[in-house]
Amino acid sequence: MIRRLKRLGVSFVLLIGILVVLLSGCTSGNQSGSGETHKTVIEYWHVNAQTQGGQAVDELVKDFNAKSKDVKVVAKYNPDMYKGLMQNLQAEKAAGKSPALVQVGWAYLDYFSNNFSYLDPNDAIAKFDPKNKSFLKENFLPNVLHLAQNKKGQVGIPYSLSSPVLYLNKDLLKKAGLNENGPSSWQEVRQFADTIKKKTGNYGLYVQEPADTWAQQALMLSNGAQIITKKGKAVFASKEGIEAYQLYQDMVVKDKSALHLPWDQGVDAFVKGKVGMLYTTIAQMSNVKAGAQFKVSTIPSPPFEGKEAKVPAGGSFLAITAQSEDQQKAAWEFEKYLYSRQSMAKWTEATGYVPPRKDVAQAKDGLKDYIAENPMLKAALDQMDKAVPWTSFPGNSGLQAEQIMIDSRDKILGGSGSVSKTLKDAQQQINQLEK
Amino acid sequence: MSVISKKWISYLFILPSLVIFAVFLIWPGIYTVYLSFLDWNLISPTKRFVGLQNYLSLFQDPTLYKILMNTFVYIVILLVINCFMPYLLAFVLEFVIVRGKKLYKKILFLPSIISLVVGSMLYVWILNPVSGPIAIIFKKIGIDLPTWSSTSGLVLVVLSLITSWKVFGYNFIVLLAGVSNIPSGVIEAAKLDNIPLHRIFFQIVLPMSSATGIYVLIMTIVQGLQYIFTPINVVTQGGPNYASSNMIYHAYQQAFVLYKTGQSAALSTLTLLLFTILLFLEFRFVERKVYYAGK
Repeated sequence: MIRRLKRLGVSFVLLIGILVVLLSGCTSGNQSGSGETHKTVIEYWHVNAQTQGGQAVDELVKDFNAKSKDVKVVAKYNPDMYKGLMQNLQAEKAAGKSPALVQVGWAYLDYFSNNFSYLDPNDAIAKFDPKNKSFLKENFLPNVLHLAQNKKGQVGIPYSLSSPVLYLNKDLLKKAGLNENGPSSWQEVRQFADTIKKKTGNYGLYVQEPADTWAQQALMLSNGAQIITKKGKAVFASKEGIEAYQLYQDMVVKDKSALHLPWDQGVDAFVKGKVGMLYTTIAQMSNVKAGAQFKVSTIPSPPFEGKEAKVPAGGSFLAITAQSEDQQKAAWEFEKYLYSRQSMAKWTEATGYVPPRKDVAQAKDGLKDYIAENPMLKAALDQMDKAVPWTSFPGNSGLQAEQIMIDSRDKILGGSGSVSKTLKDAQQQINQLEK
Repeated sequence: MSVISKKWISYLFILPSLVIFAVFLIWPGIYTVYLSFLDWNLISPTKRFVGLQNYLSLFQDPTLYKILMNTFVYIVILLVINCFMPYLLAFVLEFVIVRGKKLYKKILFLPSIISLVVGSMLYVWILNPVSGPIAIIFKKIGIDLPTWSSTSGLVLVVLSLITSWKVFGYNFIVLLAGVSNIPSGVIEAAKLDNIPLHRIFFQIVLPMSSATGIYVLIMTIVQGLQYIFTPINVVTQGGPNYASSNMIYHAYQQAFVLYKTGQSAALSTLTLLLFTILLFLEFRFVERKVYYAGK
């Protein structure tokens, strides 16, 4: 009996010991270990899953933390892309907190600047880094900087720039007896897809369908349609817009040569060699390259016949959402590191995003060798002069407007209802939303 | 110990769960009803009182009826694959099959320990209509799989199947416990009298294990709809055009994707009412016929 009590006592002491160790582990974790207690800890929120540059984020953060004397960055991955990040930021704000630096998708420029408090990068530089006053002007093209501006000024700095390109499965094109250099217009894309379907039995085309309509907007823009006017009125249900969507619907519903699937499944089908052409962001380059067992290449986003191709800039800009001064200062220090030539080059190599900085593409310590080895990136670089801002629906109902666009896409590709009626209804609905 | 102090002690024992229940279930429930009368976007400091406006616009939205229908279809499918089928299987395993019972039990229960997110992703890969293993096998014999994730109707069935991955095994084990409580003498006697198996199932097993059956029935309806949230969120996000959304996912989407908390709260309140009515009907008409052993 006594022995049993003793044993019980010993295990009790052990248990307490374990608890103490666990708890003390927690507290020291918060202070980021001994010797680093004076470091300012900031959070960097990103959307990059492991297949979309997540590893590069981790490496950059690790490298920065090793170099920086007074800042420690904690990277936080937000699932479900920019929309997911916005949702988490909402929740964080509702809880009275905020990370220091966030990636904001282009489509959320308006929504973000209306609903969250941020630090204008010009102010950040003037306050914390007055020596580098012309950092933005010197390193970025004015039209690129313009992408991250609203009426009040600069909201953030462009970080991940992408545009949609057409990936080609050269083996399939060859098998179908088609020109391996790919189609030169969307009308030709339709013919190509049809031929692939008939000759090889595989699908001809997949156009990305994530929880936004970026690629579909590129299609309409490249037929000369406008999405919204300067005043924010939706006008995409024009003759050109309807024509573009009609061709897309015909391929899916009539020819059955194009796929209608969620994004991950569609890309997977292309990578496994079951689809001839893939229209998606250049940021998928590494993923496609790693998985494809066939000859693959990219060409710039095609226009409609007789029109000029236009590509909405995808990706994100970085905005400082830190509230206290020491957090803001730390955020700027980290941001500056991310925009250095080496970091930018690393980011491009990992993701396939086009660098927003002027001098990275040609520089030896930048991307010169990399581009020579990876001609797939060239398609995206070549079409940067055709880049236009991604439509950001204004006002508090911006997110709902985007949802209406997604719903219309489902209706059209599902084959229910005519293109013109669906688009006109959507346009009317969006214009009736409260601003 | 006097009766009074005994009474207080029992309240003391119930207190912890009562507090948790109140903080995490009752209070949020009341707050949801309160929010359903307001126009709010989750972060704005001002909440505007709009009366019944949220409910009115809810009923004017044709999406609501689509989602109600989907919810109903989900319930029917889930009842078949997660309540009726495990019931049948439990009966077969207990009274019909002679060998390998333990092995079957384990195999059938195993999938329910896998996380639903993992299960959903596995299914997306397996069932990819163009490049998945099943599609490739079917292609060899000349059949093209339909693109299920963008086909209305079919998408409901597939998402229910994914959910059954999680629910089936648990329900099966619970039902097996219920079925095995039936005295085997009754079944033996019926078998000796050459009663066909389907009559044994419907006229002996079903009534005699109905206490467990009713529990599983309710859980399938209530919990199944919550479980199905995960595959909806991972695979389709409610699409195509709300064809795979149910009331719970739609409430989530309104609140945390579009930030229309008022509309979302109104829908949640409606869902609560609907399920209260369902449960009331169930208690009124089914519960009385339930057989509790030993009573």
